[in-house]
Amino acid sequence: MKDYIGTIVKNEKIAENIYAVTFALEEDVKVRCGQFGNIAVGGTHLLRRPIAICKMEGREVTFCYQIKGEGTQILKTMGAGTRLNVLLPLGNGFYVEENEQKIALVGGGVGVFPLISVLREYGATKEIAAYIGYRNKGAVCGVEEFGKAKRFVAVTDDGSYGEQMNAVQAFVRDVENGNRPDVVLACGPTPMLRALKAAVEEENIPCYVSLEERMGCGIGACVVCVCDLTNGKRARVCKDGPVFNAKDVVL
Amino acid sequence: MANLSINLCGVQFKNPVIAASGTYGFGREFNELYDIGQIGGVSTKGLTLEPRLGNPVPRIAESRGVILNAVGLQNPGVDYFLENDLDWLKATGTVVIANVAGKTLDDYSGICAKLDGRVDMIELNISCPNVKSGGMAFGIKPETVEEVTMYAKKALKHTPLIVKLSPNVESIATNARAAENGGADCVSLINTLTGMAIDIERRRPIIANNTGGVSGAGVKPVAVRMTYEAAQAVKIPVIGMGGITCAEDAIEFLMAGATAVQVGTANFTDPYAMPKIIKGLNEWCDRHGVANVADLTGTLQLNGK
Repeated sequence: MKDYIGTIVKNEKIAENIYAVTFALEEDVKVRCGQFGNIAVGGTHLLRRPIAICKMEGREVTFCYQIKGEGTQILKTMGAGTRLNVLLPLGNGFYVEENEQKIALVGGGVGVFPLISVLREYGATKEIAAYIGYRNKGAVCGVEEFGKAKRFVAVTDDGSYGEQMNAVQAFVRDVENGNRPDVVLACGPTPMLRALKAAVEEENIPCYVSLEERMGCGIGACVVCVCDLTNGKRARVCKDGPVFNAKDVVL
Repeated sequence: MANLSINLCGVQFKNPVIAASGTYGFGREFNELYDIGQIGGVSTKGLTLEPRLGNPVPRIAESRGVILNAVGLQNPGVDYFLENDLDWLKATGTVVIANVAGKTLDDYSGICAKLDGRVDMIELNISCPNVKSGGMAFGIKPETVEEVTMYAKKALKHTPLIVKLSPNVESIATNARAAENGGADCVSLINTLTGMAIDIERRRPIIANNTGGVSGAGVKPVAVRMTYEAAQAVKIPVIGMGGITCAEDAIEFLMAGATAVQVGTANFTDPYAMPKIIKGLNEWCDRHGVANVADLTGTLQLNGK
């Protein structure tokens, strides 16, 4: 982990309300899929924006972000050449065991972007199926990346792109048809993760979920971004996570 | 090279820059970024006798120039700290200040007794605005400030006592004097100001606790004023804090009467904020011909005087 000065290479809209920003860093950085960066947008914003790393190529890092509040509104206006502080890599990231050959990715909303990083890291060595849910056709993104997976099922809430269902339903249907993965990696809205957790528990499939929470420091010092664990304790999403074994967390 | 070292209640600090409680954990995470032995001191995450889970999330919100937090004293308990963190933190070479909170007077004396002689200083948190049982009840009225200070002091034979004052009070000067009368060796201020931020789409406060403690650059003028008033009111040394982001901010507090400063929220904006402030203090002193940073304390001259 280090605080880099990132120079924006490009910053563009990739779907309805979703932007992708690429920074050139001062040096090559090794990151694990599912890790995140903490971006300082400056001005009167004292908190950084923790955003999942979507892609890391040499010294260029890409984050995809949803326009949600003032910070991301400011970020989207920043053009090429703008220099921002980017603290990374943060968090534990996804980890796939040697003997887990078949991976299912289940994602929704902005949760699809850390899953793209999984595809980039394990796409060549593992058999990956991606089940991605979007709100509607306008929100569809990452199709080119997910299209590289062995199987890619895109669905929407309103049926305007792919079938009308959610990502968990698409995943469960495949499992019921005998397409059972060795491990499930997921990121998305909490109701989606909750439904997924129930489904994988029933099927007894290992599942790791990446969580999101409002953060302070982003490095584990301030204990602001906690989640409840099934053992009654609390864990820091930024440092102990953001990826947790689904059976360990209360969703 | 200016001499940045200071002496606070007999404890020698390399420099007057201390990490504020709750923003720095027990130092381990920041030590992954830089050697925290270069920091004057670390005030630990607020410790209680028993472990605490703290408040539900969300625990943080942002408003222009400030943040609000309501962590609610989540901590592993004082015994865990003594067993797992203290020796490590001491070995870094920084001054170790244990920040402590409690529900009752006995909690305060109990936790102080456990820490006496083990840490360099103890900071009494009687001003956490986020927990009913976080000592805030003691921090408002001067009578209870004095009483809880006396209780804590009685349990301490070796370790100097800092009392951290709440700004959410009628008179900071009166409460600073109350702490001094109770036997405090030092006061620190300000803790956070109680505030609220609302998500207008949901018509609900952003923070689960509804209210949170306001900190960050925007509170600095309030904090400087209160540091000045407290320093005028007492003979014991004062540690100033509230919105310090750079060396120049720290110097304002020193001039207002502080012997040392604490840095909190700035650690979130820039994780290297404290080493930068220390470097900046040295440069400012050199540029201004100040040989000892301690010479800056209380040098403020009011207008019209």
